[in-house]
Amino acid sequence: MATSEQSNTSHSVIQDAPDDRFAANDVRLSPRGWLLAGVLIVLAFWLIPLAWQKIEPLDLEADYRIPYRLGNDYWNYRRTSREVCRGDETVLVGDSVIWGHYVDSHETLSHYLNADLNAGDEHRFVNLGVDGIHPVALAGLIECYGNAISNKRVLLNCNLLWMSSPRHDLTSDKETPFNHPALAPQFTVNIPCYRATLSERLGIVVARHFRFLGWADHVRIAYFGSDDLATWSFEHPYENPLDQVTLSLPSADEPPSPEPDARAWDEKGLRKVNPEWVPLESSLQWRFFRQTVQRLQQRDNRVLVMIGPLNEHMLTEEGLAAYQQRKVAAAAWHKEQGIPCVVAEVLPSRTYADLSHPNAEGYAILAEQMKENRGFRKFLGGD
Amino acid sequence: MLFHTWVFLVFFLTFYPVYLLVKGTRLRAPWLLAASYVFYGWWNPVYLLLILWSTTVDYLAVRAMAATRWKKPWLALSIVNNLGLLGFFKYGRFVVDNVNALAERFDLPYALSDPNVCFLSDGLNAVLSSLHLHYHVPDFSYLLPVGISFYVFQSMSYTIDFYRGQVELERSFIRYATFVSLFPQLVAGPIERASHLLPQLQRAPRISREDVADGLSLFVVGLFKKVALADYLAMYVDPVYSAPEEYRSPALLLATFAFAWQIYFDFSGYTDMARGIGRMMGVRLMLNFNNPYLATGLGDFWRRWHISLSTWFRDYVYIPLGGNRHGETRTYVNMVLTMVISGLWHGAMWTFVLWGAIHAAGRVLTRSLEQTAVYRDRVPTIAKQALTFSVVMLAWVFFRAQSTGDAWMILGRIFSSGLADPVFPLLLAGLVMSIWLYQYVYESKFRKVVSAGPVRVALVVGMVVYMAAVVTSGNQEFIYFRF
Repeated sequence: MATSEQSNTSHSVIQDAPDDRFAANDVRLSPRGWLLAGVLIVLAFWLIPLAWQKIEPLDLEADYRIPYRLGNDYWNYRRTSREVCRGDETVLVGDSVIWGHYVDSHETLSHYLNADLNAGDEHRFVNLGVDGIHPVALAGLIECYGNAISNKRVLLNCNLLWMSSPRHDLTSDKETPFNHPALAPQFTVNIPCYRATLSERLGIVVARHFRFLGWADHVRIAYFGSDDLATWSFEHPYENPLDQVTLSLPSADEPPSPEPDARAWDEKGLRKVNPEWVPLESSLQWRFFRQTVQRLQQRDNRVLVMIGPLNEHMLTEEGLAAYQQRKVAAAAWHKEQGIPCVVAEVLPSRTYADLSHPNAEGYAILAEQMKENRGFRKFLGGD
Repeated sequence: MLFHTWVFLVFFLTFYPVYLLVKGTRLRAPWLLAASYVFYGWWNPVYLLLILWSTTVDYLAVRAMAATRWKKPWLALSIVNNLGLLGFFKYGRFVVDNVNALAERFDLPYALSDPNVCFLSDGLNAVLSSLHLHYHVPDFSYLLPVGISFYVFQSMSYTIDFYRGQVELERSFIRYATFVSLFPQLVAGPIERASHLLPQLQRAPRISREDVADGLSLFVVGLFKKVALADYLAMYVDPVYSAPEEYRSPALLLATFAFAWQIYFDFSGYTDMARGIGRMMGVRLMLNFNNPYLATGLGDFWRRWHISLSTWFRDYVYIPLGGNRHGETRTYVNMVLTMVISGLWHGAMWTFVLWGAIHAAGRVLTRSLEQTAVYRDRVPTIAKQALTFSVVMLAWVFFRAQSTGDAWMILGRIFSSGLADPVFPLLLAGLVMSIWLYQYVYESKFRKVVSAGPVRVALVVGMVVYMAAVVTSGNQEFIYFRF
């Protein structure tokens, strides 16, 4: 303690009254200094992400899709969607069924549609699916990061798998982690299984509107294995972090981790299931799916919804009946709203890798089916 | 509510505009008090009862002192009440655990119950059940009110100063309650004196643009210290100190070195933010840290580290004990007692007592040495700083260790466990060294270089951009909250 030699009576106790000095070190700015610093900070926040787009090449080769590792990189999604939506593209939006979880980028639905329909560069099909995204998150993605998807043809996949249980539907009362919580509504809708703190929710909302934070996330995800710099430095204590920033983004063909087993579902030993389907009228995912359709339409997109193709071979009789009911109800809702909708035919059993994902052969057949579909042709033709 | 969270930002952005509107009116104190109680109650509204109790008792004690010539009983009431609260909530279990350990050692068939459980939970449950009310009060045994050591000391200083005639009577309860609970410094100081803070609450503040600029400057520096440095260092310190037996000498040494900086950045960062917020409100809170690791002796260290606490102990413990007025031996005894008590103030564990004892021993051993002409004039400053820092670091081992056993083991392993790669990130080392270098240059004849306007602007811009770009998680509590 400060038991210094000042305790003689000649020294008053409060002689050295509380120290009002500014601080130990003079990192102190005047109002004018703050003005200058403020301008510089705003410029840095504004210019760094802009400049980054110029110096980091985004190689949008044919059959490009969002690299698996960048699935949570919403800044990159915004950038990619802006880059790919420059011509007369048809944009494919959805989850891993669109993205192609079990296949390479040249075996996805968009690839086969491009090949089958001989779409030129200007009229190509673009894969803007995100692996692991669900309708609640997709609504947030489109709302906050998908502004560039406007005045386009949009093929939106409706995967009823997300209503196959309260857990998938996010309506379970038990706190459950789920994909892309940062895209879920933080204050407007109650998601029963989501228990983030108020501070976390506020942070997410701020990050959505503050592009610099999105850019910082992008750098972390693309170059530091999604770790923050501090965590990364503990794993690579003697490496220079700047060496990590190679300005070379992951390849669209980089497989998910762990690499999925693309064999047919029954070959892998998967059994038939009877999901605990959630009724559409009370489903949170369905509610957000509808919201996404409406948002895309509000942005002057011509939307075609593709329901399925779920692996009906993998459902028990009871499960199938419940699914059919929901499929019909979903199609009916679209019809009611005047939204073009295609119910994908069930693919051969061997072409499914699990309950919802086709393999390469499945996508080829699906593309063929779509090509033959009148509604789809009409959608492309713009009649 | 933590300063470095979004919730606090929302809280402050709601509070501050209204504060600016009412600062010159009678609504200022009620608004400050309401905000302070919301801030404090955010952790647990039950805590508010304690702060309200402590405030009320001290306010009434001083009113009673003012109304009578018999001041001593009222002072005693205030001290007993405050120390009783602190003792019950902070030290009750420590005492019981030690008494029970002694009883066990001597094979005595007695064991005391946890006072928090038996007096609060069990007691309240017994009352409720006697009233046939079917409600079960949850276990209070882990209820250590945040910041109790700070506000109890602050409140107690008022009654003591009033008793000594060093502070005027505060007639307004609201204003007094605001003094005790002022939110920027409520949970981790600086521990303000009534003579310094109350007058600032009595007059309408003039908040100039310079005040706002200064407040922002302090806040940014404090935020940087906390989220970019302290929390980063914690990532190295925590695993090592959680399982010291798994680490060898270099890692243990570096973890101790890292902890020395972690606690400095954490605590002084909090203080900077508190002072910055205060400054923006037109309230000047005292300087609490002054480059402590540049101290050239332990006495100097304590004039630079947690200044508000060390001066509190000096004025309310060391000097009442006699200070240095009764000869050399008594001075040393007083010094040792003060430091050991201050160690105990930090927490109810023997590690803190030993931490205080090491500082006391160091101070006793070096006091005479520091007064010799040879040491004063011939020993290079940097050598004195290195020696002081080494003793402080040694003491931090006890402060940080989870038990005295761990602390001795860490010290033993530092000298005996051999070498191994400590895996200390170069980036972290670089950050800490650059801060030390900054402080060193700042206190040298080259101060002008680092305090030039463009350098300061560049530093602030660099800190803000670095935090936005690099720091992701920012919800770690401050170390001193647990005291």
